Amino acid sequence: MHRTHRLELFPERSVTLLLFNRVRNAAALRKKAMEGSIEGALINPVMIVDPFQILVAANKAVHLHKIGKMKTRSLYAEIIFSLSPNNNISDAFKKFGISDSDTAVLIVVVVDGEKNINLEDIASQVEGQQVSLDELPQLTDTDKVKKMYKVTPQEEKIGTLLDSIVCRMSTKDVL
Amino acid sequence: AMDVAGPAGSAVAEPGPAGSAVAEPGPAGAAMDESGAEAGAAGPAVAEAAPPPPLPGLQLVHQGAEARVYRGLFLGRPTVAKLRIPKRYRHPALEERLSRRRMAQEARSLLRCRRTGIPAPVVYFVDYATNSIYLEDIVGSVTVQDHIYSVQQSGNDTGSLLILGEKMGELLARMHDEDLIHGDLTTSNILLRPPIEKLDLVLIDFGLSSISGLPEDKGVDLYVLEKAFLSTHPDTETVFKVLLDTYAAKSKKSGPVIKRLNEVRLRGRKRSMIG
Repeated sequence: MHRTHRLELFPERSVTLLLFNRVRNAAALRKKAMEGSIEGALINPVMIVDPFQILVAANKAVHLHKIGKMKTRSLYAEIIFSLSPNNNISDAFKKFGISDSDTAVLIVVVVDGEKNINLEDIASQVEGQQVSLDELPQLTDTDKVKKMYKVTPQEEKIGTLLDSIVCRMSTKDVL
Repeated sequence: AMDVAGPAGSAVAEPGPAGSAVAEPGPAGAAMDESGAEAGAAGPAVAEAAPPPPLPGLQLVHQGAEARVYRGLFLGRPTVAKLRIPKRYRHPALEERLSRRRMAQEARSLLRCRRTGIPAPVVYFVDYATNSIYLEDIVGSVTVQDHIYSVQQSGNDTGSLLILGEKMGELLARMHDEDLIHGDLTTSNILLRPPIEKLDLVLIDFGLSSISGLPEDKGVDLYVLEKAFLSTHPDTETVFKVLLDTYAAKSKKSGPVIKRLNEVRLRGRKRSMIG
């Protein structure tokens, strides 16, 4: 049901995505995330068009974490920040993190080869139904995404929405 | 200056200043095996005795003057990774700055292309620590250079080259109208996306790019292409003429640019500047 992908540049690390729908305790989860008591990044699936978007964010976050150049204070916060097309951290949390009224949650877990992360443990904290990542497109709000990433009409002719998003994510901090 | 040594094992000679053209016809990233038979193993006739260590998961595919190009799967996608080759004759501080700037320029220009609808690869990841950039690999693509060679060799359908010239002129007009200067226009820096017959072009290699509204800069950009074009591809004067005519017709600011191009032609190498 969940999906795991290894990070080629960081072979010991892998990224697991878990998607939940009909979530009833978003507020409690958000609180746990802020406290740091949940082992994962809690993301609003409405803003995600494809798991690749998460992988790009996770890759960047792990890279920055490795070289000690994160802009935020934790790896999971950095993943959420990396999703944003701009460099405003609180805005990133607001738009890409979960809010109390959300009914769907995407949890991203980064695992270090050796360490055994208990996915059931994480899933059990969510009062909702875990669903397959294949259901993600149904949850995406394409218009909201286009607006957030300021996708131009010309772009849509040369690539997918995902292409536009990833480009902005990866080049937002180019000096 | 051209590195005469050039990339060994590359099927075609590359007259352009930066020999970091990428796309080879045929299967790309997924097969991380046979592409190694290409440039990587032979290596250039430069200082390095042993082949450079590959990036984890990616395969060295080409070693140009400016960068090593790797290909492989990255986060599940066919990807091209470019790592700049440090020039040891440069002062390290300068080297770092130049490397950083080129990579940043490339990333910025690729984003600019995307936003304005100019076809170019998607940027997946920029590594500021090693000044490397990970881009979308256009699987099955062919450089315009290789395409022209094969069309000329096969002898048939050279009329399609005129259409290719039109498409190139149109694309460059759009690029220059966005004030984007490529900086290294050669036929190996323009790709044809599959299916090749559609003549869908993609611009690559923006390491020497810049932003400028000056007709001089645009004129020089075209001049570089003209020189590269005509020296690499014999008997293509008509193709380039069509390219320029289309450019002139499609670009909103072409008048001064073409004028400038003519002046630059008079300036060029081995040109008498008398009178």
